[in-house]
Amino acid sequence: MESVERFDTSGMKRSHWLAHFLEGWSVFIQNPLGKAGVGLLILFGLMAAGSVIPPWIDPMYQPMTGVDPEIASSVGPSATHWLGTDFMGRDILSQLLAGARIAFMVGVSAAFMTVVLGTAIGMTAGYMGKAVDTLLMRLADIIMVMPTLLFVLMLAALFGQLNIWTIVLIIGLFRWPGVSRVIRSQTLSLKQRPFIEAARVAGASHLRIIFRHIMPNVLPLSFLYMTFRVTSAITIEAALAFLGFGDPGTVSWGMMLQWVWKTGHMFQAPYWLLPPGICISLITLSFYMLGRAMDEVLDPRLRKEEDAS
Amino acid sequence: MNDRTAGEDKRAPQTEELLQVEGLTVGYRTKRGFMRAVDGISFSLRKGRSLGLVGESGCGKTTVGMTLMGLLPPNGEIRSGRILFKGADLVQKTEEEMRRVRWREIAMIFQAAMNALNPVQRVEKQIAEAILTHAPELSEEEALRQVEGLFQMVNLPHDRMHDYPHQYSGGMKQRAIIAMALACNPDLIIADEPTTALDVIVQHQILEETKALQRDLDISIIFISHDISIVADVSHDIGVMYAGQLVEYGSREEVFGDPRHYYTRALLASYPTLAGEKKDLVPIPGETPSLVNPPSGCRFCDRCDAAAETCSLERPDWMEVSPTHRVLCARCLSP
Amino acid sequence: MELRNFVFRRLIQVVVIFFIIQTALFLLFRLAPGDPVERMVDPTMTPEDADRLVAVLGLDKPLWTQYGIYLKNFFQGEFGTSFYYGQPVVDIIRDKLPNTILLFTSSVILSALVGIALGKIAAWRKGTRTDTWLTIGSLVTHTVFLPWLALLLIWIFAYRLGWFPITGMISEDVWLDPDAGLWTKALDIGHHMVLPLATLFLIHFGSSLLVMRSSMLDTLKEDYILTARAKGLTDKEVRNRHAARNAALPVVTGIGLSLAFSINGGALTETVFTWPGIGRELVFAVSHSDYPLAQAAFLLIAIVVLVANVIVDVLYAYLDPRIRY
Repeated sequence: MESVERFDTSGMKRSHWLAHFLEGWSVFIQNPLGKAGVGLLILFGLMAAGSVIPPWIDPMYQPMTGVDPEIASSVGPSATHWLGTDFMGRDILSQLLAGARIAFMVGVSAAFMTVVLGTAIGMTAGYMGKAVDTLLMRLADIIMVMPTLLFVLMLAALFGQLNIWTIVLIIGLFRWPGVSRVIRSQTLSLKQRPFIEAARVAGASHLRIIFRHIMPNVLPLSFLYMTFRVTSAITIEAALAFLGFGDPGTVSWGMMLQWVWKTGHMFQAPYWLLPPGICISLITLSFYMLGRAMDEVLDPRLRKEEDAS
Repeated sequence: MNDRTAGEDKRAPQTEELLQVEGLTVGYRTKRGFMRAVDGISFSLRKGRSLGLVGESGCGKTTVGMTLMGLLPPNGEIRSGRILFKGADLVQKTEEEMRRVRWREIAMIFQAAMNALNPVQRVEKQIAEAILTHAPELSEEEALRQVEGLFQMVNLPHDRMHDYPHQYSGGMKQRAIIAMALACNPDLIIADEPTTALDVIVQHQILEETKALQRDLDISIIFISHDISIVADVSHDIGVMYAGQLVEYGSREEVFGDPRHYYTRALLASYPTLAGEKKDLVPIPGETPSLVNPPSGCRFCDRCDAAAETCSLERPDWMEVSPTHRVLCARCLSP
Repeated sequence: MELRNFVFRRLIQVVVIFFIIQTALFLLFRLAPGDPVERMVDPTMTPEDADRLVAVLGLDKPLWTQYGIYLKNFFQGEFGTSFYYGQPVVDIIRDKLPNTILLFTSSVILSALVGIALGKIAAWRKGTRTDTWLTIGSLVTHTVFLPWLALLLIWIFAYRLGWFPITGMISEDVWLDPDAGLWTKALDIGHHMVLPLATLFLIHFGSSLLVMRSSMLDTLKEDYILTARAKGLTDKEVRNRHAARNAALPVVTGIGLSLAFSINGGALTETVFTWPGIGRELVFAVSHSDYPLAQAAFLLIAIVVLVANVIVDVLYAYLDPRIRY
């Protein structure tokens, strides 16, 4: 993806940068994918924010520990439980809302870590070149070949039950190769630019060049890739929870599916089976659409072409 | 051989002329409006003769070539005019009919530097495909045998037939493209910048070979280029185009030796020559006019040395310098 | 021929990578908290058997020696004994591997072929409703949560409609019947395979479709497409013979890049459908702390992914002569 010129903000004035940003925003918002993505994410954001409301109303709505004194099994939707209850009589809607919170947390943190790591490694590899570059990229190759989910399973086998932050950490550690490749090629093209040469002549240290000059130019790309990483982070956590290796103290959507599956309710309780799955799929879809829309902003070639001239 | 503006032709029956273009206007629908790439041009071509269309990029010469083949993109449109090829008007033909005309009667030679050959198919297969498309009754072996003959014609070693395009050098690719164009024995070949991006020596070879082929096979060629010296070397007649219009037309001796239009003169002056006196290269100042809203008068006038008041207001008319040499300008008659 | 060299080089690369993964696993295993011996030795074993196992696996030796023994064992197929099954791990793996390969390979090939075919259509009908629906469909199916999709399919087609079995790969009665011929048995497997295959297919065909679509759109702008049209070929011939062939190449690359992702999906599918493959064994082994089995299953899956990568690369080199010559 040859996108260097667009990102050379090093010489831009504030006003230019703003105009650039606004232009990008207008393209983004026109794109139906972008609109839908943002819309859905706002919905989920509201869900996450709203997750504190039910327990506040009544302790029986606590996602993990709340029990309805009158119900001790899974029943369908009712006035008190809009989505019904799970096998222990806990409110499904509260669990769903709490799951939204977890999804954002896991998704964003893991993605953030992946991107920080990927950007750092990509910049270093691209900038240092030669041995360092080869070594890092070989490492990236190896990690990319490994199925993340299964490796985390192995770790779970060896280290016992994993808590949510460990899971986030591991996901972050495994998904950086994709980001680093792109950042690396970006860095490689930036390296040739005269302003880098100028900085070097002026006596700037390598570190300073990397942080002051290269980083601002690769960051937009990093953020773009972050959106894609969020989707895989959420999916991996959900899959882990589904298989029973999640953090037993957190209520995630994957965990909910695990419960409905393992307690044999999957055929009888659609109100329990459907919502978590729909949520995981939709949040993945929305981040993905967001990423695609952003891609269009950053790469003008992808924009819809009108009549060619 | 010369043709006056549309409607005034009272000469010999059209079957003498292989190709007659009358008042052709072609353009593209764009966001900014209808861009007239070719605006009312007329010329003709006899069998066995070659015509060079020369002009800077954007002057419409490539569009002429594409229109003759019926290969305009979806937003391209023929607004008016006729293209009489062997008596039939190509503009009126349906896509299905044009497909039968393509390659079989009118073929095209592209730039070698272009990706004109499919990179994942062997060269012989691509050429054979051209043959088999128009002669489906042939077997593949027969088609390949014909390909061998074609390779010989263009001086390509036939043990390279089985290779892929990326294994060829630039010159070889060009020859392969020429061979492919000759595959169905067309009456007319349109060569669009065939020697650009080749180095000078290879360029010269190819041009010589092309001239020889043209003579031997009695094929008409329309040679499109931005390089007037190449065109003068290869074609019998030259048409100079500017901003969608033909501005000068005549035999090569006339146009090269006695250029009348100021644009033609400027074109010739801007090319370096090895022989002759050492002159300063003179670039042509200014830019081409908009083709969406073309000026009403002469399109070259703001870059023309001899422009007068009236030039930009009135449409210039064709002036005859000789029965075979015409110029689109009111003020270009005097040498 | 160039191709042979290429394959050779890739295989060497794969072997190297595999050794690195193996070593990493070895170190991880030894460095994890807890007693390595306890992990490999089933507490219900007799002390003599336990000692023998310790000796075979070299768990009482220094680290370097252990590593050597570890590698030797790998080549000899000595992975220890599974806690849960009480059988040598290598036998279990050998039984399950073909099932995984069957499911995995069929799903990859099917999604690729359908994705290519539909992507071609979507590109050709760009902007029309067909294209919009195909694109949206791909996006949606690609992002659906796989285990959930599997559960849904089971619920609707197996439980509610009863068209397919709920779990497993074979029906006991068919396979125990002495008169049942090969064809009957194959059909039985096929019948069981429909839903798992459908799950994997639905999740993966979308990305092939989208890649093919954008690749076609790019390819159609190429010069040789113009040449093909100029030669007098019909639109359909141009599309299929020239454009699609070239456009399919990035799809092959894409499949190669997402093999690890596909295998994750494979393991999840096997688990939900109780398809007796290696993925499921891994999950199962981990949940039962059956370390010998878990370790071996993981290594084998790594091999499968690496080999699949090589196959895809070789396929690409075969399809694109620019690589070969």
